[in-house]
Amino acid sequence: MALIECRELTKEYRRGENVIRPLQELDLEVEAGAFLALMGPSGSGKTTLLNLIAGIDQPTRGELIIDGEDVGKLSRSRLAAWRADYIGYVFQLYNLVPVLTAYENVELPLLLHPIKRRERHERVATALELVGLADRHDHYPRQLSGGQEQRVAIARAIVADPRIIVADEPTGDLDKPAAHAIMNLLTRLNQELGKTMIMVTHDAHTAEYAARTLHLDKGRLVESGAHIAAGAAMEAAS
Amino acid sequence: MRLLPLDYAVRNLGRSPLRLAMSVVGAMLVALLVLTASAFVRGMERSLIGSGSLDNVVLLGAGSEESIERSEIKASVASQAAASIHGIRSQLGQAYVSPEVHMALPVTGAPDTTTSNQVLIRGISAAAYLVHPQVRIVDGRAPRQGADEIMLGRLAHTRMGLTEDAASVGRSLYFEDRAWKIVGRFDAPGTVMNAEIWTPLNDLMVAARRDTISCVVLTLGDAEFADVDAFAKTRLDLELTALPEADYYGQLVAFYTPVRMMIWLTAGLIALCGLFGGLNTMYAAFVSRVREIGMLQSLGYSRRAIAISFAQESLIAAACGTLIAAVAGMMLLDGLAVRISMGAFGLRMDTTTLMLGLGAGLLLGLIGALPPTVRCLRMPIPAALKAA
Ligand SMILES: Nc1ncnc2c1ncn2[C@@H]1O[C@H](COP(=O)(O)OP(=O)(O)OP(=O)(O)O)[C@@H](O)[C@H]1O
Ligand SMILES: [Mg+2]
Repeated sequence: MALIECRELTKEYRRGENVIRPLQELDLEVEAGAFLALMGPSGSGKTTLLNLIAGIDQPTRGELIIDGEDVGKLSRSRLAAWRADYIGYVFQLYNLVPVLTAYENVELPLLLHPIKRRERHERVATALELVGLADRHDHYPRQLSGGQEQRVAIARAIVADPRIIVADEPTGDLDKPAAHAIMNLLTRLNQELGKTMIMVTHDAHTAEYAARTLHLDKGRLVESGAHIAAGAAMEAAS
Repeated sequence: MRLLPLDYAVRNLGRSPLRLAMSVVGAMLVALLVLTASAFVRGMERSLIGSGSLDNVVLLGAGSEESIERSEIKASVASQAAASIHGIRSQLGQAYVSPEVHMALPVTGAPDTTTSNQVLIRGISAAAYLVHPQVRIVDGRAPRQGADEIMLGRLAHTRMGLTEDAASVGRSLYFEDRAWKIVGRFDAPGTVMNAEIWTPLNDLMVAARRDTISCVVLTLGDAEFADVDAFAKTRLDLELTALPEADYYGQLVAFYTPVRMMIWLTAGLIALCGLFGGLNTMYAAFVSRVREIGMLQSLGYSRRAIAISFAQESLIAAACGTLIAAVAGMMLLDGLAVRISMGAFGLRMDTTTLMLGLGAGLLLGLIGALPPTVRCLRMPIPAALKAA
């Protein structure tokens, strides 16, 4: 069984007579360990789909089954706890807390789990090492470059060891070298740690890092292409 | 439920020093306001309530129950009461029966000045010290009869608007066209007597050319109030009314109820303004963090956890302001003498007042944070994440 299954997944916004449908009866399966890129024109529903999978939004109709559980039917508080267990979210604009150091930002998700201080410390250190910022643990976000901020954000997304990492245009605000470094990092998370990766992007180059690309248009899937391997994509990009 | 670290709340305070200053000063002003109002009201109440001894009964003119100053009774009432009522307390043969004259007179600190303030002058005999045991002479001595001498309560100079020096022992005050030499000062903590001038009964009656006294205060021993009341009711020729002293001052407390209501109302209204100011400040603080609120929720923090963190933040700021207000209140307000129409009294920083002030400041912090928190947290997470 696939890790993520969407069946006739629909999201509607009603404003009086007007109904906006960012997602229309979407069917999708994502296997555990996949690296999926979502592409499509602006307003096609990419972020909407990502947010549904991340459990920060709820579908109007249809099923969204993740690891055997219908996430669309969880209560608000159950959903919050579910997010802490299953999801690491990487944002376009990093969303680090400015008053917390890199270390403390990465520590935030761990505080939601019953983990001893010593283990917490080890896991934060490991995550920061993985993103290559062990020496910047006591820096505040304003003391970091955009690429470094995004790496801290990635450390924050993986520190609690979630099964799924979602990323909404993670390189959208970065220059080419920084974007390349971030994509290499995400690829490693997918390949070495086996994280299921779902990424929204506008950029075809960035999409090439993914093993599979889906195109959305007006809330529907229009075509999907599978790449040979993520490794090939990396070579092509460099 | 897992909470955000307290550190997060503390450091968020540092995000905008100006906003922090506004929150702290706002809470401080509101707390100080409530402290002052409460200290005023409680000081006033205490000076009235503390003035009436439970064992004392006042005999005064029928129809003058509301004001001893307006009462006029025969000077002989004292001896008649002492002889007729059995069970009045006595000590070494001296009955606790104190004939007194109470007159509110304009008093000046210099012979020819026109600016004067009404002060209550009490003409007393030796028995006054028996029925008013709160009175302790703290400087000089008691005034002697026939020498136009006076003794001042600790707050009398405030009542007259004079400096403490101008009303010290050795100086003179002027009323009823005479100079009166200050020979002593007394303290009667928490009573209206503290704002009075005492002089021998006879001297005051001569100076004021009156042959009546205002009242007789007596202290019950084995007798009950009913015995004194019966005396007043049977001696119709004397036209007397008997009133427990505590009741007399109790009705004064009631008389000042509108004043107290006004004070509380004013304090309440200004505090409400402070609350709206606080709401604004906190709203600005939280609304600038909407995207961060979305991010924290996406990590799995519950809305309640975030609300608690915001409440902590607001409470810490309010607590700082409130503490400053409490310390300032203790140092500046406690015992501060104020003058009102009936006399003068000291502001009172007691536990109740302190609790009210602390409560008001902290409540401001809590309530001030609530509506902005609710507004920011009601936003769906995807919308919050899109915020600027
Ligand atoms: N809260 C909302 N109320 C009404 N319509 C909404 C709301 N949120 C999103 N939409 C609509 O849903 C559609 C899809 O939005 P979505 O953010 O998923 O697009 P997107 O594919 O991520 O676009 P972009 O590439 O510009 O980020 C848009 O037409 C948008 O206007
Ligand atoms: Mg989008």
